[in-house]
Amino acid sequence: MKNLYRISTVTASAALAAMLMLAPLPGLGQSEQEKAKARAAAKSKAIAQALENNSLILNVYDRQGKVVGTVGERGLFGGPVWSPDRTRVALIKPDLEKETSDLWVLDVATGAGTRVTNSTQAREFINAPPVWSPDGRQIAYVALRGGSFNVYRKASNGEGAEELVYQHPGILNLADWTQDGRYLGFFTTDLGGGTIYALPLTGDRKPIEIHKSKFQIIGPRFSPDSRYYVYASNETGRNEDFVRAFDPAAGASAGGGKQWQISDEGGGPVWWRREGKQLYLLGPDRGFREITVNTTGTFEAGKPRVIFNLGEAIPVGPGNVSMSLDGERFVIAVPTKPRLRQLTVFDREGKVLNKVGEPGLLVQPHISPDGKRLVAMRNDPKTGQNDIWTWDIASGKSYAVTASIDPENAPIWSPDGKQVAYVSTPPSGLASIYRKAWDGSGNAERVFTYTPGAGMVLTDWSQDGKFMTFFTGVLVVVPLGGDVQPNDRKAIDWLREEYNVLHGRFSPDMRYIAYLSDQGENGKLELYVRPFDAAKPNAPPPGPVVQVSKDTVGNVVWRGDGKEMYFLQPDPQNTDVHIMAVDVSTTPAFTAGTPRPLFKLKGPLTGNSVQWKSVSADGQRFVFAIDVPQDVPAQ
Amino acid sequence: MSHRITASIALGVLLIAGSLSAHHNMSAIFDFNNRVKLTGTLNKFDWRNPHIELIVDTKNGTGEVETWSLEGPAPFFFRDRDVSKADFEGSVGKPVTAEASRARDGSRWGLLRTMTLPSGKLVSACPQNC
Repeated sequence: MKNLYRISTVTASAALAAMLMLAPLPGLGQSEQEKAKARAAAKSKAIAQALENNSLILNVYDRQGKVVGTVGERGLFGGPVWSPDRTRVALIKPDLEKETSDLWVLDVATGAGTRVTNSTQAREFINAPPVWSPDGRQIAYVALRGGSFNVYRKASNGEGAEELVYQHPGILNLADWTQDGRYLGFFTTDLGGGTIYALPLTGDRKPIEIHKSKFQIIGPRFSPDSRYYVYASNETGRNEDFVRAFDPAAGASAGGGKQWQISDEGGGPVWWRREGKQLYLLGPDRGFREITVNTTGTFEAGKPRVIFNLGEAIPVGPGNVSMSLDGERFVIAVPTKPRLRQLTVFDREGKVLNKVGEPGLLVQPHISPDGKRLVAMRNDPKTGQNDIWTWDIASGKSYAVTASIDPENAPIWSPDGKQVAYVSTPPSGLASIYRKAWDGSGNAERVFTYTPGAGMVLTDWSQDGKFMTFFTGVLVVVPLGGDVQPNDRKAIDWLREEYNVLHGRFSPDMRYIAYLSDQGENGKLELYVRPFDAAKPNAPPPGPVVQVSKDTVGNVVWRGDGKEMYFLQPDPQNTDVHIMAVDVSTTPAFTAGTPRPLFKLKGPLTGNSVQWKSVSADGQRFVFAIDVPQDVPAQ
Repeated sequence: MSHRITASIALGVLLIAGSLSAHHNMSAIFDFNNRVKLTGTLNKFDWRNPHIELIVDTKNGTGEVETWSLEGPAPFFFRDRDVSKADFEGSVGKPVTAEASRARDGSRWGLLRTMTLPSGKLVSACPQNC
């Protein structure tokens, strides 16, 4: 949960980093000046793309979910927070050129921005949304300075120097500033559990531990009378919101350690109304809820009541939403690019054959071996969950393969098309591969569990059904054969090198593995093929490594007969993408012809192209999740 | 507060940036609040994905050699940070100082934050490992 706060504020930076990794590096034979020029050009292009793909607009919503205004201009930012009087919004702006981020304050009436912090060194950044002092004159924030995350505060008009308030040995996140001005609330949380602290702003400024849990927690947000605080925890198996008594003198034992659960359909960001008689909660279904509470005696809370729901096209989460203290306005950083996507099947000439199902938050489509069905990862607007769904292409009928609160991703079809495999990661961080019937019937079978805390992107299930492969910077092969328990299956680091190796795909005859790698001199990702020996899968056998592409952004696919391959190639002039085909042979040894374009898709294509595997076994059908411009009003 | 939607929105980006450059969720293995400072000799290193590994020999209070394994970011992380494999090749067998977040299991395993090479060059693994 800690990472979710950081994610929202560094997404653009991460996107830039990813694009820079995909961008060419200067090659050999160039002078230092030429190399520097090429490097600068690649970075400028990546920044322009990051701006294009990730720009946001700051919309203001009323209690009916109607947009009643915007603040400032479109751009890259995160973590908007209302000032107490609702005349200003503080937010974090990244500087992609300098690789820093800073706090800014925007005037709501004029949109004029005031820079509050001044990060000077590369990779100095603001860690999470800031908090306002009760009088609105100061802002407190966590910034990475000199390799440490420290708490600072500074005048909200940007004047004066920033004051170092507190140095913590590890990562921390600020959550609130008590209305009496005496305490900052912060938390630390990771897979080992979480702790909530109150930091006195007077005296020795020694943090007071007010709640410690073996579960992940986020908070606190203090009641206006400073008698209670609300926080989120995943102790029930999913995120819910809870309230506890706040008494710095008593620490964690305040109120006898009693807690009240206030959410009943999943928790999310919570704000107290100024009078302390209402709480506002954003649920995982994008629904804003009001809860009547009483803090004058023993805490009491009513049932959450939905005020309005945001549409599926408006992503909203902890890093991009804030509610005003008077409970009248929400400010949300809304993407300017379309977010909904339509599963679309094309033929080899780029003609649309089918639009499958309804537009949604869909990524990673994979077409079944018989070309009749699709599997993809879908974010369900009703639950906020990432699940695996399948679709019948002809009828558009959909099936929920999973319906779990644990996020699932990277779905692939089994060789016989009867099952799909996917990765699921529970709060414990033990990512596992599961397989399940394509229509969601029956129970999921856990196939393999990876190193604690390590992620994996599942990319293929071999034609003989005996191997799966995933990547994590390393190309890993998982033998499935034998009567082996999931925990006993041993992953093989099949290709672990200095360079990145991604997206392994077994050749249909099992004699080769195709993959993406930046192993070349110019550091660009390219499609390579090298031998694989199913009898000795511990490492690549001797044999040449053949570079197939001259420029690619992913989508490694073999045709079912092993005689043609496909990949995506970026257009050199714009963000469009070419679908490329290349004749190949695997006997007696692998050879590849000259790639040729089949058709072009208007870009940029949303999603992670290095994971795509979008071509049917007969090479006649190509499926992509295509952006759909849509303006979905709140409900 | 936490919300899965944010994760899904960022997922595409993370699966690029994260999967290429990170292996573990570092906080699952290492305690960021438990730092250790080491002075010793860089014995060897492994400059491969998903993260580099630095082996540092130190001496404890009784003069016994203790071997520490420090996990760093992926090689890609250093590409635009003026740090290369050659910097570490030239440092093997020479004195280094390092700061790391210690493994939760209490072993002599750490997540590299910084290392000062014999040349005086400061190698920082922040913000990824901070």
